[in-house]
Amino acid sequence: MTFRQFTVNNVIRNKRLYVAYFLSSLFTVMVFFTFAIFAFHPAFMDGSIRGEVLYGMSIAGGIIYIFSFFFVLYSMSSFLQSRKKEFGLLMMQGMSTKQVRLMVFMENMLIGFFSTLGGILLGLVFAKAILLFAENMLVIDETLNFYFPLWAIIITFVSFIVLFLFISLFVSFILRTRKLIDLIKADKQSKGEPKSSVILAIIAAILLAAGYATALYVEGQGVLLAMLPVIIIVIIGTYLLFTQLSVYVIRQLKGNKRFFWRKTNMVLFSDLSFRMKDNARTFFMVAIISTVAFSAIGSLYGLQSFLTKEVKEMNPYTFTYSNYESDDSLIQEHTRTVEETLNKYDIQTETASEELNYFEVENSGRPEVLISKESEYNRFAALLGEERVDVGKNEAVVVGDSSTVMIGAEQKERLMDVPIVLENGERVHPSRLISTVVMPEMFSYYIVADETFDALPDPVETKTHITWQATQGSEEAIIEAGGVLQNQFSPGTFSAIDYSIYTINKSFGPVLFIGLFIGIVFFVSAGSFLYFRLYSDLDQDKMKFKSIAKMGLTEKELKKVINRQTALLFFAPIVVALLHGAVALTALSNLFDYNLVTESALVLGLFAFIQIIYFIIVRHFYTKQIRSAIY
Amino acid sequence: MLQVNNVSKVYEGKVAFRALSEINLSIEKGEFVGIMGPSGSGKTTLLNMVATIDEPTTGEVLIEGNNPHSLSRDELAKFRRRELGFVFQEFNLLHTLTVEENIVLPLTLDGKRVKEMKQKAAAIAEKLSISSILTKRTHEISGGQAQRAAIARAMIHQPKLLLADEPTGNLDSKASKDVMEMLAYLNEQEKATMMLVTHDAQAASYADRVIFIRDGKFYSEIHHGKSRQTFFQSIIDTLSLMGGDDSDFSPIHRQ
Repeated sequence: MTFRQFTVNNVIRNKRLYVAYFLSSLFTVMVFFTFAIFAFHPAFMDGSIRGEVLYGMSIAGGIIYIFSFFFVLYSMSSFLQSRKKEFGLLMMQGMSTKQVRLMVFMENMLIGFFSTLGGILLGLVFAKAILLFAENMLVIDETLNFYFPLWAIIITFVSFIVLFLFISLFVSFILRTRKLIDLIKADKQSKGEPKSSVILAIIAAILLAAGYATALYVEGQGVLLAMLPVIIIVIIGTYLLFTQLSVYVIRQLKGNKRFFWRKTNMVLFSDLSFRMKDNARTFFMVAIISTVAFSAIGSLYGLQSFLTKEVKEMNPYTFTYSNYESDDSLIQEHTRTVEETLNKYDIQTETASEELNYFEVENSGRPEVLISKESEYNRFAALLGEERVDVGKNEAVVVGDSSTVMIGAEQKERLMDVPIVLENGERVHPSRLISTVVMPEMFSYYIVADETFDALPDPVETKTHITWQATQGSEEAIIEAGGVLQNQFSPGTFSAIDYSIYTINKSFGPVLFIGLFIGIVFFVSAGSFLYFRLYSDLDQDKMKFKSIAKMGLTEKELKKVINRQTALLFFAPIVVALLHGAVALTALSNLFDYNLVTESALVLGLFAFIQIIYFIIVRHFYTKQIRSAIY
Repeated sequence: MLQVNNVSKVYEGKVAFRALSEINLSIEKGEFVGIMGPSGSGKTTLLNMVATIDEPTTGEVLIEGNNPHSLSRDELAKFRRRELGFVFQEFNLLHTLTVEENIVLPLTLDGKRVKEMKQKAAAIAEKLSISSILTKRTHEISGGQAQRAAIARAMIHQPKLLLADEPTGNLDSKASKDVMEMLAYLNEQEKATMMLVTHDAQAASYADRVIFIRDGKFYSEIHHGKSRQTFFQSIIDTLSLMGGDDSDFSPIHRQ
């Protein structure tokens, strides 16, 4: 047996120990590779896809690569921690520090090489499915055909061999060989009851409460100002939560004999504080990484839904034409063009046209304000299927600002205090405030009775406004016709809602896609961190349960204890991350004054669901391992 | 061959604990010395000092006139794999390797040729009658076999000093007897110098000389007489004198 054979055998015959590390490396490579499959897709390479997508892709690739580096580094070092005794024994047999390093280096390269190969192979298997997914997500007009991703393979292979080479070198050098006696007795050393400071525990609670309260309280632009301080406070609070508050709470629970001595609680909580302390940093990291993932995906998704809704609100009609010019012949010509195009695309529409009249209103805060006739308003409302309004002779109805207008909520009612002055000097006072999207106006406006309207002074500006509401026609035709028309007129004159939304989705697609990709990478690797922690305690747990089982622990009780123990480990950081995420998304919705509850619930619920599945799988294998040691 | 001069070990901590105080010991070449004492007497600490696993707080350990604790890390590693052999209570075989691979490990680390390793492994396995299990993995063999494999690993490179820490601790009486006879045989045939730390009077009776320590201090020393049976009896007597709470009595009065 040569040294090389020894090292190789050590890895190959010790699969269980290495499998977790191997699989997570393999997963990381696979993610990077599938990413590379798009980035090097011929459809991207021949330049038919926008440059910014390619740019975003390469940034995302870089982020994934850097993250992979730290992920593999962390996995490796936590893996080495659990092997102290083995190193101690080998050194007693006369292994020199240099040889220990060489062994670790060779092991690492072996695992690195095979996980790179495995990741690429697995990526190839899923390539087609992922390309299809990307096609829909990215709103790409061309189909992304399956191709043989030679470049992706080369780039992934080289990148990861280099990554593993660096990590192997790095790890083998930071691997400090301490005193032999410490290494050999590593598994027997008692750590002493972990301590926690009451003051720090209280500070943790205060910091978190303050961070949450601020995040939930601030509104509008204040959110941006408060963002950085809140993030810092919450990060410190989270760290203290896991290192101090959790240990403190467990100690208090242990102090309560009625609780601690009840049934299996003692088995569960006896080493929980040790484990909390050991795991505190992992928990902290997992919580923060997951929070970033949740918030990023939630924000992107929320932002998309926000923009889509705003566009719809501003232009509720399928097609809208508006022009300040009073040149009738031009307007007629434009109208003809629109109708012709719509005919060509086989789109049936209902149409309405109107002159929008803008007046000077003192104290309104705007140079000109739209005042609409009751009859006109109702005509448009009928087209949209919205409610009609009934305006009395001596009153005016105010329509609040659309939420696109970024001002405080209280200012939306500003026109309520501003009367309209008629030509004869009479004043018409606003009576109520409604919120609709009928008129194509972002800012507040009045609706007055037809007689009142006639008594108004001359308008300062008049805008011709024609709308077409589609009643029949295929979705693609509407989008396509919208694109053609919108590009034909000068900007601002013609808007086609479906085409606009299509454009938003198209530009948001890549961002959302990349965000989702990175978010999932973060989330899954966070799960792997937890898995590593769990498995590093496996041998200790086996011994613990073995001795307890001898005293009489039914299988049901064993399952219960393991279930709770793993659940705590798996959900403690995720629950914290979900809370953080929920607060962050609430703050975001405060910033835009837009309700993000559905979006947040969807994103957070999805992650919680994935985590539950992950938990069930891991618990199954863990229980199996423990049971095999006992029975 | 081995000189332990005024060695003391103090474990620092909240309460400093003196595990060994001013122990003197010398072992001649080819000698088989047993170290006995109650739990916590410091015998394993002493062995760890000699084994270079732990460092003495004061005093020195000399092996053939050289102090291994003053060696550099690399030299120390080489020293361990060439001059020392270890046998532990828990065998400490690597479960990823076969018995044969475990046995040749010190040679592997020293970069010896495969052919030479094979030859030496076969020879030592023959002597310890474990030739038939060489290709097995460690979980497939019995405790007695595992300990003999561990002894083979400790002896394959013909070390100057073999250190055994409770080698019979995890074995039944039959296997213990086999293992001790094996060690006695190697001591005689190979002229290997041995230091054995044990609780087991039966095991200690195979030694040429037994040193007793208690509470980290030298207590007494007895030599192998004509028969192993009488030596065993005197070990038992010394132990019964030493043990219990009757430490007010000096051993002289009790005889």
